[in-house]
Amino acid sequence: MSIIRAAILGASVLAAAALAGCGNNENGANTTTGPAATGAANAGASGKQYTVYMLPKQKGIPYFETCAKGAQQAATELGDVKLTYDGPVDGHADEAAQMLRQWALKDADVIAVSVNDPAVLAPAMKAAQQRGVHVITWDADADPDTRTLFVNQATAEQIGDALVDTLAKDINSSDPKAASGEVAIITATLTAANQNEWMRYMNEELKKYPGLKLVDTQASDDNQTKAKEETESLIKAHPNLKGIWAISSAAFPGAAEGIEQQGKAGKIQVTGLSTPNDMKKYVLNGTVKSVVLWNTKDLGYLTVYTAEAVASGKYHPGDKTIKAGRLGERPIVNGQVLLGDILVFNKDNINNYDF
Amino acid sequence: MQDQTRLETDQGNAIGGGEAIGFQPAFVTPTLAQRVGPFAHEILLALVLVVLMLVAKGQDPRDGPWFVSTGTQQNLLLNVWDLALLSLPMTYIIITGGIDLSVASTMALSGVVMGICFQLWHWPMWVAALMAVLTGGLGGLLNGVFVAKVKIHPLIVTLATYSAYRGLAEGISLELASWYKAKPVYSGFPDWFTSLGQRALLAGPDLRHPHWYALGAAGWLFIVAAIVMGVVLAKTPFGRTLYAIGHNETGARFSGLKVDRDKLIIYTLSGLAAGVACLNNAALNDTAQASMAAGLELDVITAVVLGGTSIFGGRGRIIGTVLGVALIHETREFVSWHFTDDTLRRLVLGVLLIVVVALNALLSRRSTRK
Amino acid sequence: MTTLDYRSTQQGGGVQGFLWTLAAKREYALALLIVFIVAAVSIKRPSFLAPSNLSDLLVYCTQPAIVSCGVMLVIVTGEIDISVGSMLGLLTAVMGTLVAGKTALVPGFGWPVWAAILATLALGTAIGLINGLLVTLVRVPSIIVTLAMLMILQSITFKIMHRGNITDIPASLQWFGIGDLGSIFGLQANGAPVVPLGKVCIWVMAATLVGTWGLIRFTPLGRRIYAVGSNPHAATLSGVSVARIKLFTFALTGLLVGVATVVTTLGAYDNGIGTGFELLVVTCVVVGGVSISGGVGSVLGVFLGVLLLQIMKPVLIFFGTGANWDKAIQGALILGAVLVDHFASRRQKTGGH
Repeated sequence: MSIIRAAILGASVLAAAALAGCGNNENGANTTTGPAATGAANAGASGKQYTVYMLPKQKGIPYFETCAKGAQQAATELGDVKLTYDGPVDGHADEAAQMLRQWALKDADVIAVSVNDPAVLAPAMKAAQQRGVHVITWDADADPDTRTLFVNQATAEQIGDALVDTLAKDINSSDPKAASGEVAIITATLTAANQNEWMRYMNEELKKYPGLKLVDTQASDDNQTKAKEETESLIKAHPNLKGIWAISSAAFPGAAEGIEQQGKAGKIQVTGLSTPNDMKKYVLNGTVKSVVLWNTKDLGYLTVYTAEAVASGKYHPGDKTIKAGRLGERPIVNGQVLLGDILVFNKDNINNYDF
Repeated sequence: MQDQTRLETDQGNAIGGGEAIGFQPAFVTPTLAQRVGPFAHEILLALVLVVLMLVAKGQDPRDGPWFVSTGTQQNLLLNVWDLALLSLPMTYIIITGGIDLSVASTMALSGVVMGICFQLWHWPMWVAALMAVLTGGLGGLLNGVFVAKVKIHPLIVTLATYSAYRGLAEGISLELASWYKAKPVYSGFPDWFTSLGQRALLAGPDLRHPHWYALGAAGWLFIVAAIVMGVVLAKTPFGRTLYAIGHNETGARFSGLKVDRDKLIIYTLSGLAAGVACLNNAALNDTAQASMAAGLELDVITAVVLGGTSIFGGRGRIIGTVLGVALIHETREFVSWHFTDDTLRRLVLGVLLIVVVALNALLSRRSTRK
Repeated sequence: MTTLDYRSTQQGGGVQGFLWTLAAKREYALALLIVFIVAAVSIKRPSFLAPSNLSDLLVYCTQPAIVSCGVMLVIVTGEIDISVGSMLGLLTAVMGTLVAGKTALVPGFGWPVWAAILATLALGTAIGLINGLLVTLVRVPSIIVTLAMLMILQSITFKIMHRGNITDIPASLQWFGIGDLGSIFGLQANGAPVVPLGKVCIWVMAATLVGTWGLIRFTPLGRRIYAVGSNPHAATLSGVSVARIKLFTFALTGLLVGVATVVTTLGAYDNGIGTGFELLVVTCVVVGGVSISGGVGSVLGVFLGVLLLQIMKPVLIFFGTGANWDKAIQGALILGAVLVDHFASRRQKTGGH
């Protein structure tokens, strides 16, 4: 009997491990080392490899996976960067802080952090700096004295403004300033630091649109089903609802699905941040008019170039530009490396993007 | 679960358990196996730990600082104290056949209370910290009242307070944030407070290379608490009562043990520990907010059960829990250190949990049959 | 349930006594609470009672209700299953990967829908069986097995879904979630069913509830499940195989998670599906009056538990109270439901006979 039991135990463990193994192979290695043999132009003469850790707010969601692709491309091009990409899969900031502390102890030359919660991550970032590790931020910034540079695709203010302006335009395309009706927000959690920062600026920007009235803010807990159900209830509870901001990666498709199923496609607008591939379905079927984002692949790409420049000493404090491979020279303003403009994807241009 | 539990424990109660009622007749000199037998689970855990450390040591030192070097381990330990502190009272609770799912939520509530006292009301830091511990104690006491006095199953009580305490923390912090036009996140605690969580005590003159025995404040507290709570559990009538409750609550009641009082004590203790763990977490991250320590309760239960405490009650030891915490911590850090893959980390922990507990179950049945 | 004379003599009479008597039975207490809440919101916002909204409220109940039937039986036998959330996530990811076209943005295997559904149900049952075998044969406590399974399945889901959201869902699969039963076999005109019969997922939920009720009420198996839960010793002595019964309940739970996966109302699958679902289900089951010590529980109670928890969010949105206190209200509600039931049944025990 006990042999059978042991066998069952062994078999189930093996099965689980095998399943995970399959996934692993598919995923490929997490660490990309730029092969020097591919004739990478920048491979340092000294042959020194820089160990770069890249921390997303949440691993596994499409937004950050596309960033990682760009980052890997840059690491391969540069040749002298050993890139490791990892982050908490549940997006908890204190877990991110634990990873950061570990990398600082280990062998990091540069840690690039997408700052989920500036308050929680600041002590860990400072501790890393004290150990002589270069810390840069990307995607979302922290207090300037906790990092060398910020690879800036958009500040919270720009994101907030873009979200409000885009929705206003979707509601009233002929005269956005005159857009009127009730609007609502579906956020990640009510305590999510990034989203709260965006919402602060959204409220500021909303003052420019006297016709728009914010009636409710709901939390989706990053759960698509919950976001969909909340959207449907919001639509029914507020008959004059004209627009929704769904500002988390799970909330956006959930809200779009809710609007579609309530038969309000085209009558109620929804917008948010998402990679074009994830929302293509809803943009092409007319439920979503606009998706706000930037080029995430380029963001990851620029981040790794910046990290390498900081580690190798190519970047000197006070420099006005930074060289970034296929992106050319990017400007540095106030300690921020600028990526470029915020993109708005719509029916006409979304098929031009694949990420 | 309780009734059926009896059945399970009766069938396979050979190792690690049954301290409550010492059946060993005094005149038989125990053999080595009999002496070691009860500690089989702890030995198993220790072996796994040793193997893990050997594997870790085998890595190429050129990859960077060694995983097993003192300095690295000392620094990594900063991550474990929340879990460690909570696991001690959780062991008591699980030994009585109970459970406390609300610990992480209690931490969040304590943290929010502390943040409000310090940042919005400008109370001195030590008063705010005291308020946090008191809040934790109060939360635990409320759990205890529902469990011991109102007599509702602890899983149900703490499932409800799991949402309620986290919800209160969110509600209070968000509501006050809009009142005071502030953020619902509290940081900027004084240096003396944050250094308690971020730096080792007794580190010696050179902060970069502290003495090997240097530990954070929470670490020292954990060691003292583990010794005290271990002795109390093993040697005092209070400890024996906990085992008796776990074995047979009705029996314990009939034999005049103060079941309700002791349950009240352990749930309050769990709440107090959450209050203290919240101080450590807030000091380490210089932040207190309603999302603090989300999901930690499952890690704590995993550590305790991995340590050999029976989820059905009546069996378990503090030393097992300490080893369980160490094993979880080292596995977690080791997997992140060498594979840098957060998904893999969860997978490994899940498999480890099942294998260790299953081995324990298999071994225990073998030794019963002998 | 003792009846009216009991109320008037023992409980001090009046409406209060009557309410206490009703509350003593969990189903009545829950139904009263739900009626009270719905009445309150309908007075303020009559549109809450619109048929389309009521239908949507039932749709919100489908996934938790279907899975709760299985978890209820598991809990009745004295075990617990907290892996259902990550199981739902994994099955959704697998189903999506199987049906997605080979040339889609996130390419899948392009299986026909019926094959993908069968595979999903089979995989669910298999995972349930693994849970059950580890519990019954290896004798690892169920809370540990399913806690470990929760972590393991979640990481596998992340591995599968790392390529991005699956959006290429065939309409015939979505029919199970959002279609109308009247449009079965493609019976529709201008996109609307010829005879509207209600959402498919609601019918699937109803069938599961009735099926579980029938299983408990009319089959020897159902009686054995309760026998195992209320007194395992006696059940063993009377020749019931405790292990086999438990194995069945775990496998059934896995199968039902598969069913819940198929009736998903989502049109894009991401890797966060099912997070927190296990807690929702356990909470529903417990609020529905299933005893965590085993042996007690009814399908009606569980359904009312699901209904209570799932209508809370829409009710709060209709009230327009803002979301700050959502979680606190939910916690208070759970505690309230448990306390009312507890005191009412105690009052009845001490008051009567």
